[in-house]
Amino acid sequence: MRKYLLRRLLFGLVTLVGVSVIIFVVMRILPGDPLVAMFGIEGFAKLTPADRARIMEELGFSDALPVQYVRWLHDIGLGRLGKSFFRAESVADVILHRGPLSAEIGILSVVISWLVGLPVGIISAFRPNSWSDNVARSLAIVFLAIPGFWLGMLVVLALLFWFHFKAPLVIVHLWQDPWANFQLVIGPAVVLGLSQGAYIARMSRSCLLEVIREDFVRTARAKGLIEGLVVLRHALPNALLPVITVSGILMGFVLGGSVAVEQAFGVPGLGRALVTAVIERDIVVVQNLVLLYGVIFVVINVLVDLSYAWLDPRIRYR
Amino acid sequence: MTDQHVRPRSTSLSRRAFLSRFGLAGAGAVFASRLLEGPAHAQQEGTFQLRAPEPNPKYGGTLRFGVHNAPAHFDVHQSGTVGNIGPQGPMYDCLIRRDPRDGQTIIPDLAWKWEISPDGRTYTFFLRRGVKFHDGADFTAEDVKATYQRIISPPKGVVIPRSPLFSAVSEVAVLDPHRIQFKLKEPRPRAFMLGAFASGWNIIVRKETLEKNDWNLRNVMAYPGTGPFRHVSRKDKEVWVMEKNPTYWNKGLPYLDRVEVYHLPPFSPELGSALLAGKIDYGRLLDPVTWRKAKESSNMTAREFNQSVIQAVWVNNKRKPFGDPKVRRAMHLALDKHVLVDVVRDVAPMMVGGFVYPFHELSTPPEELGKRLGYQKDPKPAVQEARKLMAAAGHAGGLKNVDFLVRDAATYKLWAVAIQSMLKEALNIETKLRTVQISQWFEEAAAGNFDLGIAAIVSALMDPSDYFTAWYGKDGPQNYSSWTNEQFHTLARQIERELDDGKRKAMVRQAEQILEEDPPLLPVAYEKIYDSYYNYVKGQDPTRFFGIYDVVRWDTVWLAK
Repeated sequence: MRKYLLRRLLFGLVTLVGVSVIIFVVMRILPGDPLVAMFGIEGFAKLTPADRARIMEELGFSDALPVQYVRWLHDIGLGRLGKSFFRAESVADVILHRGPLSAEIGILSVVISWLVGLPVGIISAFRPNSWSDNVARSLAIVFLAIPGFWLGMLVVLALLFWFHFKAPLVIVHLWQDPWANFQLVIGPAVVLGLSQGAYIARMSRSCLLEVIREDFVRTARAKGLIEGLVVLRHALPNALLPVITVSGILMGFVLGGSVAVEQAFGVPGLGRALVTAVIERDIVVVQNLVLLYGVIFVVINVLVDLSYAWLDPRIRYR
Repeated sequence: MTDQHVRPRSTSLSRRAFLSRFGLAGAGAVFASRLLEGPAHAQQEGTFQLRAPEPNPKYGGTLRFGVHNAPAHFDVHQSGTVGNIGPQGPMYDCLIRRDPRDGQTIIPDLAWKWEISPDGRTYTFFLRRGVKFHDGADFTAEDVKATYQRIISPPKGVVIPRSPLFSAVSEVAVLDPHRIQFKLKEPRPRAFMLGAFASGWNIIVRKETLEKNDWNLRNVMAYPGTGPFRHVSRKDKEVWVMEKNPTYWNKGLPYLDRVEVYHLPPFSPELGSALLAGKIDYGRLLDPVTWRKAKESSNMTAREFNQSVIQAVWVNNKRKPFGDPKVRRAMHLALDKHVLVDVVRDVAPMMVGGFVYPFHELSTPPEELGKRLGYQKDPKPAVQEARKLMAAAGHAGGLKNVDFLVRDAATYKLWAVAIQSMLKEALNIETKLRTVQISQWFEEAAAGNFDLGIAAIVSALMDPSDYFTAWYGKDGPQNYSSWTNEQFHTLARQIERELDDGKRKAMVRQAEQILEEDPPLLPVAYEKIYDSYYNYVKGQDPTRFFGIYDVVRWDTVWLAK
């Protein structure tokens, strides 16, 4: 078990190094100059080449790329996430202030995906090819096909024109005002949750269809158990393993999708901070946020791997 | 010459008070040039009070204003975007300012009076007494001097886009703690200089603040001002909260208790939905769809006004055959400007114009401009002339593989396709669109890596002497076309120095003619601003504003609810 865990962590570390290299290189080869955002168009036009070179040096971007990369990793090692070169905001503060909101959206969307996906999958599996199965499968395809940000914009417009509703414009944490916080997170969480729920529904349906043909399910029925207990006690736990694996991967999709969906809903979470940082070419913020997303993704996957043994005692790690 | 704008108090005058004031005014006129400080000044200083235009304004309440993205830094002088002046403007004052009630008239601010010498080379400002910065420090002429010295000659590492406005200033002298004098090495038109001093960007900052921060305020969030509101809190990219300055020098102002400035992207659904849902009271830079919806609404007011921005196509004069004025004029004539304005009507509000602001008093009036080739509603005569010019330039068959640099934004992408089609249809010029992000556009344009390039640029003032240098000047920072025309440059220098308004007008018209024949860029449109607010927001009407940078203080605004 310990060996397995170490191996998984090592793989995770290699993945993170890969992510860090990619984002570091991408941010430097992307066209565009952060000085335009810093000085405005007029100010940028008046900067001489010497001014530009000096400011880039002050920002630490005139050193050789390997030097910059090692310095970045060194800073992360020391727990220094750096400062945005706009407004001198600390990246750690950005994460602490906006992170809880994005985490809420992520967790809530996974909960919604299970709440929606599992019942739909069960109904579809136990009544295959019925009208309810057909409706469920059609809806699943619809939600898989619709981009989250587009659905988000429709939801925002519908709420505005039908109910005159718009979520709060600033971050309100759960512990500050639960109702205002709920208004902020529920929209993106539902949109993300529905599309992930479609995956869960399809996956749980196919897994259940396999499991309910197994001998132990037939035995359970033969000994006179009611259908609900057959499903909940015997079929479902055995069908859940692949669904959990998918959920881990889906969490990654939720992280990625939240960037666009937060933007569509105007929710000031980490995803939106990332979009703004990309537009402003705020290299320090982009690098650290992308790496943070990478860390979260790797950690979730390791946790999913470890959860297998707990869920299925037959599994042993080597 | 003395230029004063002091509003008389509206209270009734007794015979004794009238005679007393008349006598003082007469004595003041006789001894004005000698008086350093005196009772006449002190008395007049006390008379100026700005008020809301409505008779019974209410006090209290919070104005929630939605405008633009968060600023990239906090140094207003170094900025060129409403991201700074929008949220920070209410915390500061200038020497003089544009009247928020009409957006045009120049009125006293921290200077309660100013004098201009007959030769137009000396500007003396008389400063208010007893004004305090938000940190309790006294405001004096030393603060004005430090502020303007930094604007006029920015220290190393500081870039201030408005420095050229004061290029004629040779000396800033403190005469006493409440008088400051600007000496010019050569005269400038009075409207130009006063407009420069009244620009909303030129806020007065405390000398000590500048010294303590090495003359660079980019990372200093809430440096003290003297304005009607003072800093309370700020959440990055979300909201900037200000509260009433209880010791504001203009007694009775501001009416509002608080101002909350929300950072919402311009022309975005986010800004529009925040306004329509009542999350903000006042929205600036609205998209046309939201603005029209607000206009239809009985409880909202929708206003449009002119913005200090030209949308244009730059033509790289260093690349053949674009150095030829005939080719550039042909392309200028081939653009159907009315169609171009219509193409983006659901994205951003625009109007037709030429090389100078179409709404400025010195410019050719729009109705006259509409008769000129290239601006007529029927494009056929202009296209015929354009074809003749291309033939005369030796390009009757058109041009191929023209690199068209397009800034990545909805308006430019729409325009680029329309212009591509117009150039192909009228002149058989085949362009290849290259869409790039905003920062790359300016990088490429500055380096001259383009044939044609579409984007927008701004000016601080409506006066041509500001942008004739910046946009069309030989080494103008925004002359991306690398255009030169000695006749124009000579004329522009004369316009800059001419004090007679009539002669200046004639010269500007002459300059327009040169620009028509030898275009430094291809004008596409001039931007308008869409504002909308709930009817309970009173005390300010933006209809006659020029741009969004001069009137952003909210001191006369009140809420009728």
